[in-house]
Amino acid sequence: MIQFDNVSKRYPGSDEILKNISFNIDAGEFVFITGHSGAGKSTLLKLIAATELPTRGTVLVANQNVSQLKAWAIPFLRRRFGLIFQDHKLLFDRNCFENVILPLRINGIAEQEAAKRVRAALDKVGLLNKEKTMPITLSGGEQQRLAIARAVVSRPTILLADEPTGNLDADYATEIMNIFNAFHQVGVTVIMSTHDALGLSANKKRVLHLNQGVLTDTTQSQFGSNLNTETSL
Amino acid sequence: MSHWLNHHLQAIKLVLSRMRSNALSSFIICLVISVALCLPSLFYLGVDNLSKLSQHMQNETEISLFLKLDTSSETIAQIDSALSQNPDILEYHFVSKDQAWQQLQLKSKDNADISNAVNHLASNPLPDAFFIQAKSAQPEQLEALRSSLQNIEGVGQALLNAEWAKRLATLLSIGKQFVFFVALLLAVVLLVMIGNTVRMQILTQKDEIEVSYLIGATNSFIKIPFLYAGALYGLFGGILSSIMITAMIMTFNQSIAEISHLYSSDFSLRVLNLQLYVSVTAIAIIIGWIGAYLSVSRALSVIRIK
Repeated sequence: MIQFDNVSKRYPGSDEILKNISFNIDAGEFVFITGHSGAGKSTLLKLIAATELPTRGTVLVANQNVSQLKAWAIPFLRRRFGLIFQDHKLLFDRNCFENVILPLRINGIAEQEAAKRVRAALDKVGLLNKEKTMPITLSGGEQQRLAIARAVVSRPTILLADEPTGNLDADYATEIMNIFNAFHQVGVTVIMSTHDALGLSANKKRVLHLNQGVLTDTTQSQFGSNLNTETSL
Repeated sequence: MSHWLNHHLQAIKLVLSRMRSNALSSFIICLVISVALCLPSLFYLGVDNLSKLSQHMQNETEISLFLKLDTSSETIAQIDSALSQNPDILEYHFVSKDQAWQQLQLKSKDNADISNAVNHLASNPLPDAFFIQAKSAQPEQLEALRSSLQNIEGVGQALLNAEWAKRLATLLSIGKQFVFFVALLLAVVLLVMIGNTVRMQILTQKDEIEVSYLIGATNSFIKIPFLYAGALYGLFGGILSSIMITAMIMTFNQSIAEISHLYSSDFSLRVLNLQLYVSVTAIAIIIGWIGAYLSVSRALSVIRIK
C-alpha cells in the first residue's frame, strides 16, 4: 500500500529531517510512528499524504510514485487518505455539520447523501447531538473527535493521524484510541504518529521509531488485526 | 455531467449565501460597480441620441434662400425662373414675407412669451424666401448648389440647413471616442475593484482553502466559487445600473418633452434600451469573471507555496 525506498527529506536551509528511510506498510495495518518532537514524524506523514515531496528516494502510494504525479492528480491521491492534523485544522466559522461535510463537497457527493454520511460519521465519534454546535465551544477531546469525523466521512482506506492524542488527558486519549481501533477493525489502514508511550503500551501494534531522522526501530509484525507478535518499546 | 453540474450549483449557492451573510457590504460593492457602469452608459446614451438627431437633420437636403428685404417683385420673378431652369433642383416653393409672418403668429399663439414678443414688433421683419429641395443628398454637391444660389442677384442668404448638423456630427465623433476611453478606463477600475474584493474574500477564507487543499480539493474546486462571486458582482452591478439608467432617462424625458414641445417635435429617449442594458451587464459579468480569475490565481499561488 505504502512503500518508502531510501527516502530523504530536507527543507531549504535546514539539515536533513529524514535520512534514507525505507519501509513498507500493507493494507489493513495499524502502524505507530514514534519519536521525540522534531524527529521527523510529521514530515513522514506529510510525505505519505503528498503534501510534501521527498528530496531523494521514492514514495509509492498504491503503486503510484508520488514525486512523478502530475499536479492535477495529487488531489485525487489525497482523497484516499483521511487526514487528522496535530492542530485539528477545524474551521471555526461554521458549525460541526458544515465542518464534516467539507470533504464530501470536495468529492462532489450530492447534498442529501452527504448529509446522511455526515450524521453517520458524527454518530461514530459520539457527536451526533452537537451537529449545530460551533466547534469553538467544544472541549479539546470533542474537537479531536470532530476532526476524526471529518477525516473518515469520505470513507478513506488510509487514516493518517498526526499526534491525535498529544494534547489530551488520559481518558480522552483512550477514547480517541478506541475510535481508531474501531476503524482498524473494519479494515482501514491506520498510521498514527505519537510521542506518547501511554498510548503504545495499551495497544501493541507495529511501531516505526524515528530518531533524528533515522528509522532506528522497525518492528515488523505478522500483520493482522489481533495478532500482536511485535515488540513494544 | 450531473457531478459537474452539482459542483457548479453548489458553488453558486455557496457564493449567494456568503453574499447574503454580508448583505450590506455586498450591496455597497454592487452599488459602486453600478455607478462605474452608469457613467459610460449615460455618456453613450447622450452621444448616441444626439448623433441620431443630427443624422436625421443631415438627411434633409433643403436649402433656404432668404431674399434681401427690399427685393422687388420683378427680381423675385427673375429668381423664380432661374430656379426653375436649374437642373440640380428637384422642387422648390416660395414663401412671401406676409405668409411667413402669418405662420409665425399662428405658431406662437400657444406660447405666451413668444406671442407677446411677436405682437410687440411694429412691422414684419421677415424676408421673402424660397425653400429648395435639391436632387442630390451629397454634402459636397449640396454645398456647390448653395454657393451658386448665393450668387444670384437679390439673394440675401443661402442656408444649407444641415450645416450645423454636420458640424455637430463631427463634434459627436470626437464625443464617441471620448466615451470609448471613459468606458475603457472605467473597465480597468472595475477590473481592479472586483479583483480586490475577491482577493479580500480569499484572505478571509484562507483557512478553508488550506484545509481543502490538504484533503484533496482540486484547483478548480477552490477557484470556481470565487469566479462566480466576481461574475455575480458584475451581474448585480449591471442590473442595478440598468435600473439607475432607466430612472434617469425617465427624468430626462420629462424635461426633453417640454423642450421638444417648443420645437413641435416628439423626440424622446427610449426608456427600455434593452440592447444597452444587456451588453453593459454582459460586459460587467465578463470583467467580473476576469478580475476574479486574475486575483484568485495570484492569491492561490501564494497560499499554495506557503
